Amino acid sequence: MRLTGDPVGLMVARNATPEQREAFRVAHGFDRPLAEQFLGYLGNALGGDLGKSLRLHLPNTELIMQRLPATMELALAALALSLLIAVPLGIVSGVFPGSPLDLLARLIGLAGQTIPSFWLAMILILVFAVNLRLFPTFGRDSPQHLVLPAVALSVAGMGQMVRLLRSAVLEVCRENYIRTARAKGLSEVVITLRHVTPNALIPLVSVVGVNFTYMLGGSVYIETIFAWPGLGTLLNDAINDSDFPLVQAITIFIAAFAIGLNLLTDIAYDLIDPRARQR
Amino acid sequence: MRIKVVLFLVIVSLIFPLFPVSGQPSGELVIALPNDPTGIFIANASDVTAISATRPLYDGLVVYGADGSIQPGLAESWDISEDGRTYTFHLREGVTFHNGEDFNAHAVGTIWEYGMTPTNQWLSYYDSVASAEDIVVIDDYTVQITTSEADAFFLSEMANGWFAIPPGYLAEVGLEAFEASPVGTGPFMLEHWAPGDRIVMRAFPDYWNPEQPKVERLTFRIIPDATTRMAAIQTGEVDIVTRLNTDDVALLEFNPDVNIVSYPNDRVYYVAFKNIGNGVGTPLENELVRQALNLAVDREGLVAALFSGNGQTVSGFVIPSNLGYDPSLLPYPHDPQRARELLAEAGYPDGFGIGMSCPADAYTNINEVCLSVQRDLGAIGVDVDLEFKTTNAFWSEAHYATTGPMYVDSWSSPNGEAFWRLEGSLTPGYYYSTWTDPDIVDYLGRIAQAVDREERAALYAELSHYMYDDPPYIYLYILNLFEATTKRVTGYQPLPNETFYLNEVGVDG
Repeated sequence: MRLTGDPVGLMVARNATPEQREAFRVAHGFDRPLAEQFLGYLGNALGGDLGKSLRLHLPNTELIMQRLPATMELALAALALSLLIAVPLGIVSGVFPGSPLDLLARLIGLAGQTIPSFWLAMILILVFAVNLRLFPTFGRDSPQHLVLPAVALSVAGMGQMVRLLRSAVLEVCRENYIRTARAKGLSEVVITLRHVTPNALIPLVSVVGVNFTYMLGGSVYIETIFAWPGLGTLLNDAINDSDFPLVQAITIFIAAFAIGLNLLTDIAYDLIDPRARQR
Repeated sequence: MRIKVVLFLVIVSLIFPLFPVSGQPSGELVIALPNDPTGIFIANASDVTAISATRPLYDGLVVYGADGSIQPGLAESWDISEDGRTYTFHLREGVTFHNGEDFNAHAVGTIWEYGMTPTNQWLSYYDSVASAEDIVVIDDYTVQITTSEADAFFLSEMANGWFAIPPGYLAEVGLEAFEASPVGTGPFMLEHWAPGDRIVMRAFPDYWNPEQPKVERLTFRIIPDATTRMAAIQTGEVDIVTRLNTDDVALLEFNPDVNIVSYPNDRVYYVAFKNIGNGVGTPLENELVRQALNLAVDREGLVAALFSGNGQTVSGFVIPSNLGYDPSLLPYPHDPQRARELLAEAGYPDGFGIGMSCPADAYTNINEVCLSVQRDLGAIGVDVDLEFKTTNAFWSEAHYATTGPMYVDSWSSPNGEAFWRLEGSLTPGYYYSTWTDPDIVDYLGRIAQAVDREERAALYAELSHYMYDDPPYIYLYILNLFEATTKRVTGYQPLPNETFYLNEVGVDG
């Protein structure tokens, strides 16, 4: 009945007797009607019980909580890195369109959005770990270990943010209140810092939220490549071993996390931008 | 005079540190694992990676020798009763568990009781202990185990997974805590386990064999991505990587810091025929047809073209590293002319059409192997309708009922004997068995009860000839496996079943 094949054939020893197969089926509820299995799962999930891993014999919620800190660490580092580079670069390139810095920003924007992160990850390993020996290849032992995976994970979001900020700054710069500020004789630095930046950053808030969720999901490749012991490697293992309950649990967790984060983003938007409240 | 003495001392002190004290473990060995072990309690270790990674913590009553024979472990010797059912083990004295608990006859049955508990019986581990019917403690260092029937593989099963675990500690901490932090009598004791990341062990100072282990610290690192494992051995961050493909080998071959270890894997690739289900009434039921199909396939060409020659063609399911292999039995030659003659003799001068299933991407280059078999059979007039299936669908119950009537598959066999491959694929009623031959079943029954190794070897050879003349499969090939170690690793030799012992593995410097 499952598109992915019968879990019993995959989980039980290849030489298992029909009785052992049946016992496994009964023990895991695979003998019950699909609708009943689904409703039972749904009921438990609402209560926070996402079932038990077939392969590791542990509650899925416990496994997720075990791995969550590593994933959070990586996603937050990647997010911080992309903000750190994207914000100044996006603003400068918007304020000085056509300058060499603008060219660099547009290049990063384009590259970030087109280079696949898993490919970049491998190149980073080959160049910075194998050839230059500047960073370790894999693992999560020290802050140094965070560098390459965080770079690989941050680039896509960074590209998007640079492009977004650049166009937001360009747009704000054309606003009447900027012209008024100039007419009042304010210096360009004050205009940029006081009037352009805060207004240009508003659309960034929603992108940051989306990007963070993307980084949690995107970490499946990046974590697997860098052997980063987080949710991504857990999901990768679960998929490889057809550990359906665990795959389901992680997917539901990431989805719930994304919904929660989107809600927070919307609330934050209201707090930051008074215009959003009035609408 | 004094200067000479000083000089002598200086020279001695310079030379001496180069030779570590014999038996003193030193250094750290780091091994990359391709996937996260399912557990480090041996009963939860369900694949070869997990078994290799957990085994250093434990000892069995018996262990494997390099040639696959059974050697003394925690049992110094044993006697087998006339009827082959009762084993009396004489245990090694003075062995302790990592927690200080004494190992004796009372500890032998602990793992068996765990495996026989009904709620644990669907675990693959159940197979390791299910043969034993009863365990009787004769005295502190003598224990008698009775099997339900004479069982040729009882000692192999014991060597595989019947490990000593401490009954006192288990009762004290409970199963859940034990699974997270298991204790055995093995050469290494657990220091730290971070799931998905690493398992760290250190040498057990009171190990019963004072010559083992050779390294002080043993670390397994979980690195799922093959490219990253390759990078990690080049930078020296890990000492051993397993499961390399031929491209990896080509890349590492000329690296002065790396050694390549190669060994034949005990996994036979074959094309299966069905004489049950949709195989009934097909030309495959004719022995001459099956011989013809075997003659039609160019195995040598296939191994040369698809695996750069890193494999061997096989004459049957008993391969050179197996007990009872008969070197006089050569693989079927590539002889399409003779194949056509046999087909004509069987009443199919113009060939016939037949369906063949292929587990897409399940093994290295398997899709190309399927295509190449299809082409070779086409050359003798057998028109193969090839169907690729995803692996999950291929091995699911529903598929096996409708697959084929020919399909490409592979089967491994542990312990240096082909029995598990033969039994699993040829016992009627078994999940993956699609060929029924009462004579083969009879052979297998006799092998399973032949407790004597020589007798078993003779039976394997006889069965190989039978299965050569009346083949239930097109036998294809076995492949060499490649692993790499850094130059400082000594004494590492993986077993043909892809697992390894680490008792004798050391690191220089």
